[in-house]
Amino acid sequence: MSGPESTTAPDTRAGITCAPLAVDVIELAARRERTQVLKALAARRGLPLPALGWVAAARSTLVLAARPERWLVLSAPAPPGVALSSWRSACAACAAAIELSSALSALHLAGPAVRDVLARGCRLDLHPAAFVPGSTAATSMAQVPVVLSMLPAGWLLLTPSSTARHFREWLTATATPFGFVSAAGVTVASLSGESTQ
Amino acid sequence: MAGVPGKLRFSLGSRRSPIGASAISRGALAGPARISSGALTDPSRPFRFRFDGRELAGLAGDTLASALLANGVRQVGRSFKYHRPRGIVTAGPEEPCALVDVIGSSGREPNWIATTLPLQQGLVAESQNRWPTLRFDLRAVADRLGRFLPAGFYYKTFMTPGWAWERLYEPIIRRAAGLGRLAAVVPVHADPAETVHEHADVLIVGAGTCGLAAAHRLGAAGLRVILVDQDVAAGGGTLLDARWSSWRKSVCAALPQWPALRCLTRTTLLGAYGHGVFGALETLTPQESARFGGLRERLHVIRARQVLLASGALERLIAFPGNDMPGVMLAGAGLSYLKRYGVAVGRRPALFLNNDEAYEAVFALAAAGVQCAGVIDPRPDSRAAARARTLGVAVHGGAMVGAVHGRREVETVTIIEPDGRRRFVLEADALLISGGYTPASALATQLGATLAWDESLAAFIPDAAVAAGRIAGGARGVFGLAAAARDGDAAACAIAAELGRAADGASCPEPPPDAEASPLRALWEVRARGKAFVDLQNDVTADDIRLAAQEGYEQLEHMKRYTTFGMATDQGRLGGLVGCAVLASARGVPLPEVGLLRARPFAQPIPFAALAGPEVREHYRPRRRLPLHEWHESAGATFVTTGLWLRPLVYARESGWSPVLDEARAVRKCAGLTDVSTLGKIDVQGSDAARFLDLIYANTFSTLAVGRARYGIMLREDGMLLDDGTTSRLAPEHFLITTTTANSTAVLEHLEFHLQSTCAALDVLLTDVTDQWAQFALAGPRSREVVGPLVHGLELSNEAFPFMAATEGLIAGVPGRLFRISFSGELAYEIAVPAAQALTVWSALLEAGTRFDLRPYGLDALNTLRIEKGHLTTAELNGNTTADDLGLQRLLKKQGDFIGRTLAQRAGLNAAERLQLVGVRPTDRSERLRNGSQLVAREAPDVSLGYLTSATPSVEFEGWVGLALLSGGRQRLGQRLLACSPIHKETVELQILGSHMLDPENARVRS
Repeated sequence: MSGPESTTAPDTRAGITCAPLAVDVIELAARRERTQVLKALAARRGLPLPALGWVAAARSTLVLAARPERWLVLSAPAPPGVALSSWRSACAACAAAIELSSALSALHLAGPAVRDVLARGCRLDLHPAAFVPGSTAATSMAQVPVVLSMLPAGWLLLTPSSTARHFREWLTATATPFGFVSAAGVTVASLSGESTQ
Repeated sequence: MAGVPGKLRFSLGSRRSPIGASAISRGALAGPARISSGALTDPSRPFRFRFDGRELAGLAGDTLASALLANGVRQVGRSFKYHRPRGIVTAGPEEPCALVDVIGSSGREPNWIATTLPLQQGLVAESQNRWPTLRFDLRAVADRLGRFLPAGFYYKTFMTPGWAWERLYEPIIRRAAGLGRLAAVVPVHADPAETVHEHADVLIVGAGTCGLAAAHRLGAAGLRVILVDQDVAAGGGTLLDARWSSWRKSVCAALPQWPALRCLTRTTLLGAYGHGVFGALETLTPQESARFGGLRERLHVIRARQVLLASGALERLIAFPGNDMPGVMLAGAGLSYLKRYGVAVGRRPALFLNNDEAYEAVFALAAAGVQCAGVIDPRPDSRAAARARTLGVAVHGGAMVGAVHGRREVETVTIIEPDGRRRFVLEADALLISGGYTPASALATQLGATLAWDESLAAFIPDAAVAAGRIAGGARGVFGLAAAARDGDAAACAIAAELGRAADGASCPEPPPDAEASPLRALWEVRARGKAFVDLQNDVTADDIRLAAQEGYEQLEHMKRYTTFGMATDQGRLGGLVGCAVLASARGVPLPEVGLLRARPFAQPIPFAALAGPEVREHYRPRRRLPLHEWHESAGATFVTTGLWLRPLVYARESGWSPVLDEARAVRKCAGLTDVSTLGKIDVQGSDAARFLDLIYANTFSTLAVGRARYGIMLREDGMLLDDGTTSRLAPEHFLITTTTANSTAVLEHLEFHLQSTCAALDVLLTDVTDQWAQFALAGPRSREVVGPLVHGLELSNEAFPFMAATEGLIAGVPGRLFRISFSGELAYEIAVPAAQALTVWSALLEAGTRFDLRPYGLDALNTLRIEKGHLTTAELNGNTTADDLGLQRLLKKQGDFIGRTLAQRAGLNAAERLQLVGVRPTDRSERLRNGSQLVAREAPDVSLGYLTSATPSVEFEGWVGLALLSGGRQRLGQRLLACSPIHKETVELQILGSHMLDPENARVRS
């Protein structure tokens, strides 16, 4: 009788692959009592804003609702300022658009051991029945803030760039016993391949 | 008795049991007391190990305790207070005596529990608390002096003379008492550690029949179940009873079919922390440990919707003189060593039992061919006693053990009548005892269960249900393996119903019936001459408890603190109830009136390393790195940690002021560039943003024009200064706050708090953009010429872009922000660009500055510049200063409210003698200044008038300059005072100056 940890030999298979994700991030923060206006505006731009705790994918863009009345819009990298200015002018009356492309560092994780590794730092229940594809949450891991999202194509983690190296060191050390592989960068488009909500 | 033991020991030594003798002659089984292959030991894998320097043999599967017993090692340590010889008492984590030092690769580690420590090839262990050796311990004289060392002796004995406590008594007592010792120099703990967060619908604590039956039921219902057990295998009592092996195998084989069910063996539940949070410590197998890089223990933090406590019951001791002698052991432990490890704990053991369940040890020993010296039972007769007699075991009914004798271990047992008369003396080399079973209620009480006294079980029983959980089986007094299995199943059904699941899946196989048992007879203490221990680990006797009661410590918790009863790491598991019964008897009250000690987390000692997890050494706290960290590194920067940030201190590897002053001089003469990305930056937007800032800041921001920045100060609610910085208005409803590096988190929290509480109706959005923006300060008389060519379409003349201007625009082709603000006191610009473009812009600035001898400067040079100018950092904004103290009174707005306004008006915060900011220079320019030096007047050198907050050699002035907080400082300008640094044996005469030593008219920043 033993738990799943009873594997005896060191795991040489890739239990977890980790790839950086180059991405532009704009945070849309709804002005007081203007949430519906913002949602309508976003919908007109073909980007439905999901309910809190969910991810929406459309037109090669991911939208994460990890904080109340705020959405992180993730899109493929454009020249500096382009993504921001398009949102800033569009939603001036109903929301603040704040550029966070440099503030957040994005990682894509995939593989059978992702949950085992994340459970070594994350207090959230990541069981497939509890944190289903399309879920997102703001939490803390390795003492730094993390926005964690579960997508059909794997896991997306956003952490502050000033502590990105610290987080990456923690992740590498924690994941090594499970078979840790660094992979080439992935794109937002490949993650937003299908709608998740 | 005195002359007997020596001879007797000799005679016992020659009287080996036939099975034992044959086993030794075969040589297949490690250790002379190993009479068969146990259920857990592997005879094909012999291990060598060392204990106190002796090389011994054991088997894979052994614990250190079972291997020691197999080798006939009885005495394994000396006791805490009296240094009496002590042996192995239990076979599990509740062990009070067999604690050892383990000498491993990372040094000596004390207090390993020998009864749970898995034996490994080459293990090196040593006994504790003895000097010079275990057999001959000089401090055992404490035992002879026992009557001078009663409970609370140190409160009474060491009162006089007063000086002697710290110098004499305490050092001696500290040296003599305590268990184990740490290495003199704690080695760098190289062992890794990790914490795993687990979630479950149901946590089941204990994998005996109760827990297994419940797991089967809940697993079949499709629930997420975590089943934990401290043992190396699931099964609990079934591991000791062959009739149950098929039931156990069948259930354990069924559990893996439910993927949502996990079983964690070798895992001890450490405590219940409320809200469904539990802590558990898993000890890894050697294979698992190798996979995880030498990890030994894993801390599990389990969050469960429901908990089922199936932790069973613990056998308790009986207090009688000599009940601590090596060779006296719990009956269940004796059974366990025989069944699990094939070790007979004695060649001729006697047993002292008051209940039928404990007779299992008698039956097992008899079946293994071990000759029992006899069973002593206070009950005249019982079902189990009758069965023992049919097996040829002598049962002495209506009798008790009055004394145990032997030189170092049990040799004879004196049997007495209930009235104390001596009946006869029995030769025996071990004494197995059982005083009944106490439900393991520690977790239940941590979850708020109340305990009720059950006379028939002579035990406190917890409620069946607690908040979000149930208690079943032995843990609530349902004894018997089959009864516990049924109780576990019923509790599981109730939990499934609670969670809205049907529990109609296949149930467990039918368990074998429990044997009918006669009732036990409560027996706490046999009163006779000699030390009868109730707490073996802390050396507390029944007499100590009576003394405590006599001296007025009648309440259980008072008695506990006076005697240290139950305060050892085992928390009095074995004798807790016994001690309570002794107290009840001393007070002449019923036992329920005394109650039971409350066990607290942690259930067992746990290494600090396991709690720390991976957050040690360089990962103790996260390190924040600048966007240009690698550039600074390659430029030869020495880094300094400020808050969580790593910042370039100076661009030189050598120490000393010379490179710092070179950097600072470049700024004053031409231009310098420094990375100030660590400044906190908060984006504030919304139609009420200006109104909100007027409330947050002590000065006004609603009047600030778009495209302008303003220096602002904010107060705490109590009127003290919280932080300072410049805030810019980028658009009518869009501001950017900068905070000091050290206070950025505190300021954001302060703002969020007020936005969500006192200003909840305002339309304001706060966003931390610290990591988004890299920010550089370009300072020096030539800085306009450096940055000018890089800002396209932006006129930088004084008229177009004056001091405190702020704008957005393209800088070196990158969309960014330009501010004309200065911390150095020179003409200066701050350039902010997205962190990802930091290198592009930084490089462009350095390139553009080549012909002006532009060079980067670090935090030390920045500090030199700002001290000369009298600008503030957290050395002055230290939480004890007000706006007036730092000369900022003029900023406080005269009209309108702001946070901290009311309490800043307190008389004490406006007293004339408060410490006020001043500048200082040594009268003798060749003398140096030191931070922290105290300021005194020459005529009153014992009265501190204040202290130096900052000091630096100056590049503008000759010699050193500093800032100081000085009582009534602004009234003392021009005075001469002394700066004393007693630890450096330095006294320097100072001139007191205004704090703005450099360019007080601000001509340079406006140039």
